[in-house]
Amino acid sequence: MKNKLLVIINDIRRAKNQPVVDDLHENDNLRSDLGLTSFDLAELTVRVEDEFDIDIFEDGLVNTVGEILKKLEK
Amino acid sequence: MNYLVTGCSRGVGLEICRVLLSEGHDVYGIARSHSEEFKLLECDYDGKLFFKSIDLSDCENVRKNVFREFVHNGIQLHGYVNNAAMAYDDIVTNLNLGKLRQMYAVNVFTPMMITKYVLRNMLLHHTQGSIVHISSVSVHTGYKGLAMYASSKGALEAFSKDTAREWGERGVRSNVVVPGFMETQMSSSLTAEQKDRIYKRTSLKAATDVHSVAETVAFLLSEKACSITGQNICVDNGTI
Repeated sequence: MKNKLLVIINDIRRAKNQPVVDDLHENDNLRSDLGLTSFDLAELTVRVEDEFDIDIFEDGLVNTVGEILKKLEK
Repeated sequence: MNYLVTGCSRGVGLEICRVLLSEGHDVYGIARSHSEEFKLLECDYDGKLFFKSIDLSDCENVRKNVFREFVHNGIQLHGYVNNAAMAYDDIVTNLNLGKLRQMYAVNVFTPMMITKYVLRNMLLHHTQGSIVHISSVSVHTGYKGLAMYASSKGALEAFSKDTAREWGERGVRSNVVVPGFMETQMSSSLTAEQKDRIYKRTSLKAATDVHSVAETVAFLLSEKACSITGQNICVDNGTI
């Protein structure tokens, strides 16, 4: 699950010519640490939804990697 | 190209499907009723035209009804035509909140929810798609009895403009076609005299041609309109 998330986030970063990250940490902030904009988060949401059939933005904002993983574990 | 068209069973929606199919596209149609005219079109375009009966006042279940059970992520959408609408005609002092809520569900809330998931589909597939909302001349020219209906269409026009601004950087366009009064079921409750008075307000002194409206929608969906976004295009026989 975490690996799949890493692949998706790196796909988005690569498309913006940002270097890929080697690993994800639960406390990583999606915006300040991983450099994702609101449009990038929208793309992350649809990619995650397509993969896991869970809408991570359904009940409000998501800030960290840990928060996404928690929603996917439910 | 794959296009989603709501209110496809008759009138302008049916004509939009006909034009898009004649151009070789695949059309996913949604309406409450599966009309005989639509079934005939399905026979002519077997494997290109798809239908699902959906109650568009159910804005809570758009994701499930439309995007899980019909146009799933495996289908790359290139465009969405928001045509389905219901009319609620009355003078303002008779305004009924229940009827107003129902009209807003069909004319505004469901189209906004569908737009949300259409954009998600376009994001997933990196599609530079096109969204077209069908509005009404009554937003721009006042008519007795249409204040509530016109307000719902005005909401769509604002939604479209801001959608265009928000998603333009991803190449998605959003426009509105503003038709004049047409000879469709939507205007069937009007008397001949009322219609005549309405048509006299137009430059061309006639009902707006349904095919002209459908062709304009097809144009806005196409690459020919690649530099047009955030606009309201009037197809109204010159109601000026």
